[in-house]
Amino acid sequence: MSKSSTLPRDNGYFLRAEDITKIYSDGTVAVRDVTVEIHSHEVVGLLGENGAGKTTLTKILSGLLPPTRGQVTSPRGTVRFSSPREALDFGIGMVHQHFALVGTFTAAENVALSHERPFKRIQLARAREKLEALMEGSGLHVPLDVPVEKLAVGEQQRVEILKVLSRNVDLLILDEPTSVLTPLEVNDLFELLRQLRDTDKSIILITHKLKEVQSITDRIVVLRHGELVGDVKTSEATTERLARLMVGQALEEEADAVELSDEEIPSHKERREVDRSGEGVLHVADLTAKGNTGEIAVEGVSFDVYGGEIFGIAGVEGNGQTELVESLTGLRVPIKGTATINGTNILGKDPREIYRLGVAHIPEDRWELGLVLPFTLAENAILGVHRWEEFRGPLSFLRWGKINQHVRKLMERFEIQATGPSAPAKSLSGGNQQKLIVGRELAKDPAIIVAAQPTRGLDIGAAHYIRQTLLEMRDNGRATLLVSADLDEVLALSDRMAIMYEGKFMTVCSPADLDRETVGMLMGGVTAKEAT
Amino acid sequence: MSERTQGTFQSRLLRGAHRTLTGLHPALESVLAAVVGLLIGALAMWLWGYDPWGAYATMLKGAFGNGWGLSDSAALATPLILTALTFSICLRAGMFNIGAEGQVLIGGLAVITAGYFSLPPGLHHIVALVFAMIAGAIWSIGPALLKLTRGVHEVISTIMFNWLAHFLVLFMIGNVVVNPQSADQSIQIPSTAWFPKLVRGTDLTYALFVSIAFALIIYFILWHTAVGYEVRAAGLNPTAARYGGIKNKRTMLLSFLLGGISAGLAATMIILGSSPNHAMFRGHGQLTNVGFDGMAVAMVGRNHPIGILISAMFFGGLTAGGRLMQLGTSRVPVEMVRLVMGVIVLTMSIPELVRVFPSIKKQTTELVKSLKKLVGSERRRGSA
Amino acid sequence: MILQLIGFTLRAMVPITLTATGEIIGETAGLFNIGLEGILLISAFAGALGAKAGGPIVGLLVGMGVGAMVSLVFAVINTYWKGTQMVTGIGINLFAIGFVEFGLIRLGIPGYYAIPDRFHLAKLNTPFGLLSPVIFIALALPFIVYWLLKWTRAGLMLKATGQAPEAADVAGINVNRIRLLASVLGGALAGLGGAYMSVAWFGFMTKGMSAGRGFIALATVVFSGLNPLLALVGGLLFGFFRSLASWVGTMPGIPIPGEFLDMIPYVVTLLVVSGVIGRVRFPKSLGKPYIRE
Repeated sequence: MSKSSTLPRDNGYFLRAEDITKIYSDGTVAVRDVTVEIHSHEVVGLLGENGAGKTTLTKILSGLLPPTRGQVTSPRGTVRFSSPREALDFGIGMVHQHFALVGTFTAAENVALSHERPFKRIQLARAREKLEALMEGSGLHVPLDVPVEKLAVGEQQRVEILKVLSRNVDLLILDEPTSVLTPLEVNDLFELLRQLRDTDKSIILITHKLKEVQSITDRIVVLRHGELVGDVKTSEATTERLARLMVGQALEEEADAVELSDEEIPSHKERREVDRSGEGVLHVADLTAKGNTGEIAVEGVSFDVYGGEIFGIAGVEGNGQTELVESLTGLRVPIKGTATINGTNILGKDPREIYRLGVAHIPEDRWELGLVLPFTLAENAILGVHRWEEFRGPLSFLRWGKINQHVRKLMERFEIQATGPSAPAKSLSGGNQQKLIVGRELAKDPAIIVAAQPTRGLDIGAAHYIRQTLLEMRDNGRATLLVSADLDEVLALSDRMAIMYEGKFMTVCSPADLDRETVGMLMGGVTAKEAT
Repeated sequence: MSERTQGTFQSRLLRGAHRTLTGLHPALESVLAAVVGLLIGALAMWLWGYDPWGAYATMLKGAFGNGWGLSDSAALATPLILTALTFSICLRAGMFNIGAEGQVLIGGLAVITAGYFSLPPGLHHIVALVFAMIAGAIWSIGPALLKLTRGVHEVISTIMFNWLAHFLVLFMIGNVVVNPQSADQSIQIPSTAWFPKLVRGTDLTYALFVSIAFALIIYFILWHTAVGYEVRAAGLNPTAARYGGIKNKRTMLLSFLLGGISAGLAATMIILGSSPNHAMFRGHGQLTNVGFDGMAVAMVGRNHPIGILISAMFFGGLTAGGRLMQLGTSRVPVEMVRLVMGVIVLTMSIPELVRVFPSIKKQTTELVKSLKKLVGSERRRGSA
Repeated sequence: MILQLIGFTLRAMVPITLTATGEIIGETAGLFNIGLEGILLISAFAGALGAKAGGPIVGLLVGMGVGAMVSLVFAVINTYWKGTQMVTGIGINLFAIGFVEFGLIRLGIPGYYAIPDRFHLAKLNTPFGLLSPVIFIALALPFIVYWLLKWTRAGLMLKATGQAPEAADVAGINVNRIRLLASVLGGALAGLGGAYMSVAWFGFMTKGMSAGRGFIALATVVFSGLNPLLALVGGLLFGFFRSLASWVGTMPGIPIPGEFLDMIPYVVTLLVVSGVIGRVRFPKSLGKPYIRE
């Protein structure tokens, strides 16, 4: 049952986990019989889908979570800590996906926070000196005296890394570090990781991205459903093999769906002729909007989306995509520009009016925006359409009979797995929740579908399903606006696309016109001219 | 997904236990909290030198032991249902309206005002009810508007309004609606507006039905109308509500409106119903604390109209029994009941109550461990 | 006349300022305690009992202790047990009302309890009238707390705990313990404010003694933007209006009924929270329990 490590034992290991099993108090088996070793001088990739147990395993490896069975040992001593601070003292440091920084403190203060022992006076000056030396040595530069919340995401991540490095850790764990970086920044990060590895450190890189894990690691450990299904040298691994390990004995399609590289663009693109004369179903001209902090988030954006096509917007999150989508779906009022659906203005209107005009919105954050989690499936299925005639009777009474019927149809059509219409939404898996939202939105028979990060955080099966559904909609003649930080997704699904950077469209073209390198640079703000 | 949860017996056992507890959760928590409250009340009684078990026995008899007791309990429950609804409706909308106390008082003033008219019964009732509902609503909308326009936290504003109502009523009773025969009272409501007694010899009147009817109406509104749906959605997730086209400001106002109406109704129930004098007192008399007690009722009733009906009966019973307890051999003051209520609410604020007890054991062990560290012995125990 | 006004203002300021300053410490760490009203009430009662038993100083200390203990319960429920702060606060208020009423009846006269003169805290004779020494503590404390929050490592830790508990956790700060300590400290200060009322100001105990002061203190905290110096200002403001109200009441010929004068402090509080100038920054994690992911 347990797959032992392919490396010989007693080979200068930093950490060894033997037969680790973790069962949570509600019965979920998060990790089952995992045995793995981490050595110095290596970068280990921890690969797996969402929910495979990567985070749990990492917490156990870094001593913060006690395993139900098995143990973690190290030649240095017992690996069992009661706080992240103790782990840092031991030499294990973690850079989280969501940074653990105090927004109002400066970078210097944040780093100092992890150093000072309680109740000693703050010695900021000395801390700064050490920090500056560290920045030189590692090549990571950040402004030291600006409140961290004002820094760009890439810079914030650097502060996080500096924080950990300043404690002289020997094992550095990074949790999905590249999801917020442009391709250029990713290269810089990987350079740094290689440097660190060469100075004898161990690095664990948690990721679900196949291409990445192959480019930076020495060894790849694959988890599936809490079990260790692969522990291979990177040089011996192929993309297909890794994909298969990740999803198991799944259908061929699923494994293919894992990797949407530019060589595998689905062949059913552009089967229909799209009439691009005149304005699109969605017509946007010179749209400008401010963000929550008062700064311009969207600047002079213009584009059309026609029926029968998917228009994709690529770009690292935080470049105005959210604000753009909000402006088009009634959640934000722009300060300039026009946007119409089949000629009718939609700016400044409230969401319900916009839905009436034929807009479906699959929101980027299904928990915050798309669902009321404590509500049942049925209650969530009418969110946004609860006042439509088919669901509402006289005196504003809700027709639960009709609503439940509707939900059952949705459950069938979209294969939503749940115990019934009265199951609470939070009991569903992420994939099923997203399918519920997609079903709800598509049931509106929309003229245009606005899909923001529609496959984020979903397992491969669900992501594939959603993508297929979007393609179906396109083939049915609907217009789709796809916003995604997953570049591969945008490249594979879009008929035309734009790359968004700092609120502006860097270019509008067909995916076939660009090579990946150029795309990467455009995403990072390098204009077409500078790119040559 | 089933791969992961099969297999180990331990995991199956845990899963079963977890599911049972989660399903029973809400009711179980309320019952558990009630038990804890009563136990701590017993402790307080014992500390102050009373006999807890004798007291509780008397209390039980007084509350549910016979027809009289049941009637008195129900009579006391009647206004509690309504003030509980005030708190719960607003809580469902995501707001903390603790102004029921003041809204009841202002509602009471409105009822007294209606007493100045001579109207036939039936009509007189309706006029009094309408006056009270409007008055309660006005006093509730005030804090709501402050929140909407100036962002004032509703907890602070409703409390301030409570105090303003307190003094306003004092003034009105002393100077405007004063009873010429008794300086401490307002004028009496003429009998054309009284609720007829349901059970002779007790305080129980038809007001009970009005309360229950209102609770059912609220249930229907919240769970079976689009408007109620919007209120609940806005309370649970205002961002998603916005996405769904719901205007959160509207739902908030509506919830405060309904809450104020409910509180005003509560005042009518008391003045036209259970109160023997059918008047308001300078010391507020029977209207005192009905707002705050309503909150406890609401929480134990899980903020659901049906639960509130049951919970109000329980608290009504506590107070009715408490009165008997006061007169009985144990002579425990009825204020003890409020103490028990407070503890119950405190206990209810702990989520996952059933998980707390093993957690106490864990905390104590951790505390002991850290104490040991402090003293200097830093030997680590256990394997890694 | 002015001197008397000042004296009254100083006397009335104490419970508000002390409670507000204590709550500032708690809220900086991320805990929002609306049970302050109950704490004030119950520590006033405890202080009265303590003074009767062992003298005025004992009374004040007992009050602080009780305040700290009640806050301890609040803190444990809302840190280690991940409770709902609002509900716990309401529970504390209800409990305090019941406990005090119950206790007063037990002791003799329902609703009232007099502390014999010899158990009062001696007051100093000043040009402003009789002033209790506690007033000077209440004047000094905001400055001390301000310094604590701004210049010491402890203040940094408190702020981190309130703003970004995850970051504090990673930095080795025990978030729950810090919040607990902050809350207990705040409760002790509120307890002092409460005991002051019975032992060092009025000299007796009634069941309605707190009279909404706990909530006024909360309003003051909002007004202060978590700056203790502004809490002092708020307390003085409140005290001033209270004294103004009673002064106007003693003047003959002014037809304003007493009840409306009594309303003034509460109206002022409403105005203060409505008309707050500038944006108030509440710690981001205020009101939410910290759960380590």
